[in-house]
Amino acid sequence: MAPSSSSGLTFKLHPLVMLNISDHFTRVKTQLNPPPSSCANGNNPSSGDATFPQDFRVYGCVIGAQKGRTVEIFNSFELLLDPTTDTLDRSFLEKKQELYQKVFPNFYVLGWYSTGSEANESDMSIHKALMDINESPVYVLLNPAINHAQKDLPVTIYESEFHVIDGIPQSIFVNASYSIETVEAERISVDHVAHLKPSDGGSAATQLAAHLTGIHSAIKMLNSRIRVLHQYLGAMQKGDIPCDNSLLRQAASLLRSLPAAQSEKFNEDFLMEYNDKLLMSYLAMITNCTSNMNEVVDKFNTAYERNSRRGGSRTPFM
Amino acid sequence: MSTLEAVITSIQRLSATSRDLSALHDVLKGANDSLRTNSDLQLTTLDQLDPSKHSLGYLYLLDVLSCGPVSDVVPLIARFINGCDAAQIRLASEKFVSICKRLKDKVLELRDPLRGVAPLLAAVRKVQVSNKRLTALHPDCLQLCLLAKCYKAGFSILSDDILEVDLPRDFYLYCYYGGMICIGLKRFQKALELLYNVVTAPMHVVNAIALEAYKKYILVTLIHSGQFSVSLPKCASTAAKSNFKTLCTTYVEVGNCYNNGMISELEAVVVANSSEFEKDKNLGLVKQAVSSLYKRNILRLTQKYLTLSLQDIANMVQLANAKEAEMHVLQMIQDGQIHALINQKDGMVRFLEDPEQYKTSEMIEIMDSVIQRTIGLSKNLIAMDESLSCDPLYLGKVGRERQRYDFGDDFDTVPQKFSM
Repeated sequence: MAPSSSSGLTFKLHPLVMLNISDHFTRVKTQLNPPPSSCANGNNPSSGDATFPQDFRVYGCVIGAQKGRTVEIFNSFELLLDPTTDTLDRSFLEKKQELYQKVFPNFYVLGWYSTGSEANESDMSIHKALMDINESPVYVLLNPAINHAQKDLPVTIYESEFHVIDGIPQSIFVNASYSIETVEAERISVDHVAHLKPSDGGSAATQLAAHLTGIHSAIKMLNSRIRVLHQYLGAMQKGDIPCDNSLLRQAASLLRSLPAAQSEKFNEDFLMEYNDKLLMSYLAMITNCTSNMNEVVDKFNTAYERNSRRGGSRTPFM
Repeated sequence: MSTLEAVITSIQRLSATSRDLSALHDVLKGANDSLRTNSDLQLTTLDQLDPSKHSLGYLYLLDVLSCGPVSDVVPLIARFINGCDAAQIRLASEKFVSICKRLKDKVLELRDPLRGVAPLLAAVRKVQVSNKRLTALHPDCLQLCLLAKCYKAGFSILSDDILEVDLPRDFYLYCYYGGMICIGLKRFQKALELLYNVVTAPMHVVNAIALEAYKKYILVTLIHSGQFSVSLPKCASTAAKSNFKTLCTTYVEVGNCYNNGMISELEAVVVANSSEFEKDKNLGLVKQAVSSLYKRNILRLTQKYLTLSLQDIANMVQLANAKEAEMHVLQMIQDGQIHALINQKDGMVRFLEDPEQYKTSEMIEIMDSVIQRTIGLSKNLIAMDESLSCDPLYLGKVGRERQRYDFGDDFDTVPQKFSM
């Protein structure tokens, strides 16, 4: 299923679609696999508590618009897979399609989505069934497995093409490249979801910690990317890699757009502010240490005090 | 004879792995008494063993040998200490400590303490289980360094932070000798810390070491901070508080006189009691304290005046003439104790503020190292806190006195503490 598509269509995916799919998957997964604290009404089967089938899939439909050679996938909705006939629920799909047509007259069904790690043979039948709505539907596949090492999004878009394999013309899935397209509103909401602040606002300490963690990871990423660029330029200078002039031009323009921050006054101000922050953290550390010391001394006195209070009517305050 | 050979062969065989070593240790413990009475044990028998591989066995034999009359034991022990294997030594640390003490005594007898400094330094490092533990060898090593006047070597041991102590007497001696070494190196801040530790250490009866340390402590506070308070710090033990003052009256008198600030009175007191100071070998320190009175008076002047002429300084501080005043002020500027400008044309001194602006990158490094040190201390404190919380004594007392909070979760709205 690996060869890339040759249809020449460019795909644009909106984040709303990905959020919808992942939300759908998470919801169904939680409903099938309730966490132990929330099943207080004893509906939990006693056998095999945490070994529910993890390899279930959710299905749905993606809608959008196609202008010329650009296919833009805007939205999605969920569908149920009929397990007996292995087809998507057709009547529901048509009803939903009518409703969406009223609100978004330009959008129509572009294809369908599912979750999993790879496209299967059985998906082909579903794909073919959709071909009467859209003659070349797309298949969006989201891989719900969390892989921290993976840097890209686990979303792949497949198209179907007729290829001749072993002398038999078959339609197989081929990979199609896509790009992410965002509207400003989407960007704001994705940003909000990504930070996932605690609902009660948290205390000042946790908010500060969350804020600093965010800044720390952003700076770390910036640092690693600059390092990559630096290594690349160094290799080009040494001659290991052929010179790419357009890249050099981009890097030069980036560097020139940096603010001029090398003046003497800037250094002084910067150092002074840095030292101020260091002094404040020093003060905070000393206060922390003092409070720790206080606890230790209190505990020590309680444990090893020779003349303890008899008659515990007056309890010591903390 | 047969037992000796058997012991030697077993040493040679069983010195490889740790299981063998514990077996060897038992063998040696059993054979210890018979070895003492064995007359065949000579220095030459030691040649059959290699100190770095058979350290444990060598240690036992050496211990037996050095008890008796043996010539030239010092280089023997020194070579052994330099070559032995630390892991094997730690299995029989008391024997190692006693050998080192014997080395120290011998070296003192020969009136050549310098020979013992390097071996004992190495010995301390080898017998120490971790960097933070005080061993019985620390004070001996420091004593030799003091007698040999090589203060820098002793200071290298003092730079570790000690967190665990086995015997209190070791601790007292360590802090006392350490304080003396720091005084010799003129690091009065660290000397003050160490002497303070001795003076405020818990003790039931007055300790001679602590008494001597208190005398030096008074003098060093005078030199370093220029203030003297008659009362001991609050954390000193009750025995110390009640007895120290009555036993060191002359020193307390010196301190009180210093507080008044009159040089002539101070010198009179010093001369009157000089025999006692000499007996305690503190006369040099007392003289330093007297000369520091000038510094203290000049420092006080900086807080009152912006500019002053050299002649006025000489008059107020009771110095002989302006030249001496200039020398003193110059010395203090060089030491960094005051900030001033001397105008030589008209003999005026202008006192300045501390010019440190905390704007430089060197300051960043200082702050960073200080913050790291505080973080380390905080971790130690938290570890101590946790171990105390699990202490059955503490749990017993707390469980008895605590009220039962059966009112629900009304109490936890404020975060208790921000712990790293």
